[in-house]
Amino acid sequence: MDDRQHKAHRPALSGAKAEKKKGKGKEKQHGYNEKAFAPRSGRRAERQGRRNIERDQTRLHVPLVNRIPDDEPPPVVVAIVGPPGVGKTTLVKSLVRRYTKQTLNHVQGPITVISGKKKRITFIECNSDLNSMIDIAKVADLVLLMIDGSYGFEMETFEFLNILQTHGFPKVIGVLTHLDLIKKASTLKDTKKALKKRFWTEIYQGAKLFYLSGVLNGRYPDTEILNLSRFISVMKFRPLIFRNSHSYMLADRIEDLTPREEVRASKGKCDRTVTVYGYLRGTNMRPGTKVHIPGVGDLQVKSITKLGDPCPLPDADSEKRRKLSEKQKLLVHAPMSDIGGVMYDKDAVYINVPGSFTRGSNEVPLGEGERMVMDLQDINTTLDDAVARSQIKLFGSSSKPLAVDPGPSRLHSGSEDEEDEDEADDMPEDEDDEDEFEGSEGEEEWGSDAEIEGDEDEEEEEEEKEGGRGRSAPRNVRRGTGGLPSGHDRRGKAIDFADSDSDMGDFDEDEDVDDVPRPGGGARVRFDDEEDVHVQSDDEDEMDEDKEDVPRWKTNLGGRAQAAFEEHSRKRQRNWMKLIYSSSLTPEQIVRGDSLTSQGQNKDEAEDDFFTIKSKGTVGDTEEELDMTKEKVDPEALKAWEDEELLDSIRNLFITGGSGTGDAGGDDGYEDLESSADFVDLEAQTDGQEGATASGDPETAHSVTLAAKKELLKKKFDEQYDDPEDSKMDFYEEKKDEIARQLQLNRAEFENIDPEARALVEGYRPGSYVRVELTDVPAEMIENFDPAYPIVVGGLLPAEERLGYVQVRIKRHRWYAKTLKTNDPLIFSLGWRRFQSIPIYSLDDHSIRMRMLKYTPEHTHCYATFYGPVALPNTGFCAFNSLAGDAAGFRVSATGVVLDIDRSTKIVKKLKLTGVPYKIFKNTAFIKDMFSSALEVAKFEGANIRTVSGIRGQVKKALPKPDGAFRATFEDKILMSDIVFLRAWYSIQPRKFYNPVTSLLLSDKGRWSGMRLTGQVRREEGLKTPLNVNSTYKKVERAPRRFNVLKVPRKLQKALPYASKPKLMKPQGKPTYMQKRAVVMEPEEKKAIALLQQIRALRKDQAARRKEKQNERKEVHRKKVAKEEEQKSEKEKEKRKEYMRAAGMKSKREADKEEGRSSKRRKI
Amino acid sequence: MSQLVTVIHFSGHQYLRHRLVLSILSGKPVKIDKIRPDDKNPGLRDYEVSLLRLLERVTNGTVIEISVTGTAILVKPGIIAGGTVVHDCPLSRSIGYFLEPAVMLAPFSKKPLQLTLRGITSDDRDLSADLIRTVTLPHLQLFGISEGLELRIKKRGAPPLGGGEVQFLCPIVKQVKTMNFVDRGRVKRIRGIAHAVRVSPQFSNRMIEAARSVLNRYIPDIYLYSDVYKGEDSGKSPGYALSLLAESTTGVIRSAEAVSVPGGTPEDVALTASRALLSEIRRGGCVDKQHQTLVLLMMVLGSEDVGRCKMGEPTPRTIQFLRDVHQAFSTSFKIVPADKSEQGSSELLFSCYGTGYVNANRTVA
Repeated sequence: MDDRQHKAHRPALSGAKAEKKKGKGKEKQHGYNEKAFAPRSGRRAERQGRRNIERDQTRLHVPLVNRIPDDEPPPVVVAIVGPPGVGKTTLVKSLVRRYTKQTLNHVQGPITVISGKKKRITFIECNSDLNSMIDIAKVADLVLLMIDGSYGFEMETFEFLNILQTHGFPKVIGVLTHLDLIKKASTLKDTKKALKKRFWTEIYQGAKLFYLSGVLNGRYPDTEILNLSRFISVMKFRPLIFRNSHSYMLADRIEDLTPREEVRASKGKCDRTVTVYGYLRGTNMRPGTKVHIPGVGDLQVKSITKLGDPCPLPDADSEKRRKLSEKQKLLVHAPMSDIGGVMYDKDAVYINVPGSFTRGSNEVPLGEGERMVMDLQDINTTLDDAVARSQIKLFGSSSKPLAVDPGPSRLHSGSEDEEDEDEADDMPEDEDDEDEFEGSEGEEEWGSDAEIEGDEDEEEEEEEKEGGRGRSAPRNVRRGTGGLPSGHDRRGKAIDFADSDSDMGDFDEDEDVDDVPRPGGGARVRFDDEEDVHVQSDDEDEMDEDKEDVPRWKTNLGGRAQAAFEEHSRKRQRNWMKLIYSSSLTPEQIVRGDSLTSQGQNKDEAEDDFFTIKSKGTVGDTEEELDMTKEKVDPEALKAWEDEELLDSIRNLFITGGSGTGDAGGDDGYEDLESSADFVDLEAQTDGQEGATASGDPETAHSVTLAAKKELLKKKFDEQYDDPEDSKMDFYEEKKDEIARQLQLNRAEFENIDPEARALVEGYRPGSYVRVELTDVPAEMIENFDPAYPIVVGGLLPAEERLGYVQVRIKRHRWYAKTLKTNDPLIFSLGWRRFQSIPIYSLDDHSIRMRMLKYTPEHTHCYATFYGPVALPNTGFCAFNSLAGDAAGFRVSATGVVLDIDRSTKIVKKLKLTGVPYKIFKNTAFIKDMFSSALEVAKFEGANIRTVSGIRGQVKKALPKPDGAFRATFEDKILMSDIVFLRAWYSIQPRKFYNPVTSLLLSDKGRWSGMRLTGQVRREEGLKTPLNVNSTYKKVERAPRRFNVLKVPRKLQKALPYASKPKLMKPQGKPTYMQKRAVVMEPEEKKAIALLQQIRALRKDQAARRKEKQNERKEVHRKKVAKEEEQKSEKEKEKRKEYMRAAGMKSKREADKEEGRSSKRRKI
Repeated sequence: MSQLVTVIHFSGHQYLRHRLVLSILSGKPVKIDKIRPDDKNPGLRDYEVSLLRLLERVTNGTVIEISVTGTAILVKPGIIAGGTVVHDCPLSRSIGYFLEPAVMLAPFSKKPLQLTLRGITSDDRDLSADLIRTVTLPHLQLFGISEGLELRIKKRGAPPLGGGEVQFLCPIVKQVKTMNFVDRGRVKRIRGIAHAVRVSPQFSNRMIEAARSVLNRYIPDIYLYSDVYKGEDSGKSPGYALSLLAESTTGVIRSAEAVSVPGGTPEDVALTASRALLSEIRRGGCVDKQHQTLVLLMMVLGSEDVGRCKMGEPTPRTIQFLRDVHQAFSTSFKIVPADKSEQGSSELLFSCYGTGYVNANRTVA
């Protein structure tokens, strides 16, 4: 247009104006004018202050514990939800491109990317199947709700929002797309405004709504996506209560582990063993919990293994940078998306072969061949080297390797190594052999463990550590056949004596040595049993040695055992976790201090163990028979308290006892009492102090104590004088502080125990990438697996595994068109589960009874009770009548919350028993046809009854004849025609029907159909409703009621006063005078009458003519109106035609879209 | 697909009580077999049957199947209903036997429990009503169960004929608090109750005298109450007993008690009780050995946080309890010596990660 340069504005640099400007600018910079915001009056000031405080209060929320670990949080689940054809896939692709600079071809399943130094995101696209929407709503942390701007909101959107609301309402960002289809700017503005308004009413005022304009290169514009990603990254998430109490996982990979042969043999119908992979979320997942996969069912977890993170957060060195390095940006984990197992990394393409293994996962049962191959991989030295370096220890405990002359040993060890490979295969047989020899339990366990593990690394390690133990027995056998004389013989004997060995003082220390380097010995699976075995073998070995000098062994037997016991119980630190959780000792044995080498100790019994066991058993029976809380006091033990020294020794445990350094725990008890300061802080200090006290010599210990005391006093002083206001927290702060402190403790407590023991104690933490092995999974899940449908693995609480009657508060959704009827099946989405059940609706009737309702009331809550899996009270749910995609209208039929769970219900419905009188006395009547036997009557004696006319009465007693008849009294005499009824309440139980929605097992996942209604079945089968003749409505014939005349005896009539006498008279039989007289008129009269008649005739004629005229006029008008009507209908027709044309076009466009979506090529 | 129901399997008649409690709390069915199979009188004893009855009454929907020989039972637990329950305990065991499981279950019931038990109030096998009132219930307070928690001893009943009556009132909670109890402090006061029924009231005074003779050397703050029930309230048999408890600066309560034996003197009883108390104090820990299981159970049932407690060495009961807890709740404890540096100390630090047990039976609204 015109390219003329405008003159630039030059602000004044000096002069009055410049002065003025400067002043203004300065003022602005300065902040606000205090005067401008000062309250004008005291009242106003007060009001302002109050408002501020109130506003502050609205900011506060109930403090919730955030159980997500800070160091490595699980990726945030961002779900992209919307109706078909709205551009979900495009958005996912754009976002993934934004984060990883890679273009995905197929978007399927969760896609995990790194979005920041401490943040990862899992994107998942939700298809428009209602089941998927429900599952996604339960796991999504953030929902990108996509809305077609050119069309507006669709039913799915609202349904999804309702599902979200009932399951905790995660964060939602709206995304408007297809805005480029609206050409006119003003329409665009109006549309945006209208949609935003609706969106806000649905979520909250001010909810974020994004606008995405058209698609470029198959992606949304980069700037818009960048903005969206910024919003995603700054999003804060408040923990949702349900997810904060359940552990769950969004599976991003699934593998079938079932042996192929088994599948083949059963033609693919056998239950499968399946592993699912994903990041744990929510709370810790404990081993041994049950899980529920919505759409599949409850499954047993066989094992959980923590795997290496496939999409790890940036490590320490890259963390030094402010930004994410470019290398890190390229990582994307989307095992389901890459069809054909192709995974892209920065500069390589990985082809992922299904069933590939990682070295990290030890517990995967491997095939024989795989093991062999892995074995070969592990060897990093040549055989020759290995042979050269091999040392043989005769016993596990021997410190020096056996020094034998090179020749034979070489030969021998060589053979050993050769056997190495088939070691694992030999294991079971080995074990058998051992059993024959010793029958020891520990070994058996060990053997089987090793079999399961099948991990060469581990095994070899063990073998090295334990010297000859692992393979001594089989080799013995072989040697035996080879005819080697002495060694084998000796060993055999030794084993016979294994039980009787009692020399524990020596090997005790050995065991100590073994124990020390493994603080968390509680890891059950791995090495405890093996250690167990190890010790036992020590035992044998020791005894081997001992056996040579028998006299020494036998001499001070009792004394040494005693000493050993003393020492053992006092000095030795026993590994209680190991003893309790992974040894097979009885509790009594553990307490008595039997170590794992227990058998050896009972030396007296060892002489003849067959009998002793028996006797021990009987003794135990008489003594320990009772389940007692109080242990028997041993009078001998208490005798010890007569000793003054002992009495004095515990003086320091009392507050009067002074501060003995010997007992550190009691040291600061007194101070505690005085200061009564913060409990945990003190305790933390105490811990530190304790360590210090005990470690140093008394002198330093004393100084340390003093220092600690000083510290404490100083702190107290500070608290009192520094800022007394500051230290005092309000309730909210206090709670938050408490939560923070507990979290701190949670983190600190298990920090430095080894991972396996840690997993045993606290389970697998959220944020870790785990592999969960599930057993007995229906084959259909694998056969019909479709990555477009999310697999959610939800952990169940112990309470949730059970079935029972669940009472809920329910409200029919006001957009759901039909009312809900008692005993009609309903599909619930409650907790993790989706299931069909049959509810009974009820209302609380004056807090006396729960009264059944046939239908749900309009716009108000009622109760519903159904049989199904239990969920914790206060869990929200939503219900559907049908999950099918083609169901018309709004599908969420009801929402509500769980109130109560029970094993029985108390719902009643009204029951009216009717009867008729067959004999009536004054106020008494005999009633029949209400009951069928005297027993029933007896049950209802004293019950209130009533006639239809409202006369009240009572059931009195049964009559002998006819059966079920009874005598009743009323407040007045009843009539023979009266019906007597008894109002009663009949208790009903919901039907025990529970039908999980197994949508994931179907090949066509949207086509799940549960139990149908009778009407539905009849309609589909073309059956007629059976008709009970008695139930048909007939016309009620009501004959007019005839009352007899009142007859008063003549005698009585006579006696009555006149006013009371019945004044009944006969109807007049003869015509009256007026009727029977004749009229004769005068001539004038006749004339007058004739005249009158003529006038009347004239008048009539006139009226008739007038009417005719009017009709004519009306006819004209009617014609006119008809014409107009015709014109109008013409117009209407035109209009309808126009509308239909538009609708047709729209539907056609819809169809086009559908097509476009399926071919993934949308025309714009 | 059918629900998978895992049945916990136990053997032996021992530890029946806590196994049943664990089953009811975890909701898992439990099968216990080999109940005295080799005994002359095989199967369940009368008090065990009575216990099963009591549990059936306290719960709703519990199915108990006892085999023909009585040597195996299968319990499918229902929900804990609570409410008003009256139960007559057999004379073979004291009330404590029945009250202990009730104490463990009551906080998690649907309605506050009002349990009236009749029988023997104190004997030498189980905790007496006195100790439950003065020691067990304060332990529950550590877990936030306090308001309305009460045990009323209406009548006392000594063995063998009993005739006592106690009323146990327990509120319900949504979730128990996580415990963090590692400072045992030092004993600051000793309290005790000496009671005598159907014997000379002097007996209780004699017991107090004797107990003081042992304990006075440590601490002056000793109050031993003489509690004499008369007439109707004193039960059907004569007897006397002394229960002692030592409270520390941090609220640790340790207890001991002794009951009369035929032919014994009150002084003997008192000496036994006070010496048992001293050995209990010497054992250390923040919880005495009778209450280890209760405290550990509540720790397991706590919210999903780490609870810690310092205790003395576990008793056989405790060890078996820990194993059973592992089966029922798949929760294990981390057990380490409380202070590694110190050689002589046998104190252990038990810490566990709570299961986040929520009282699902509780009705909302």
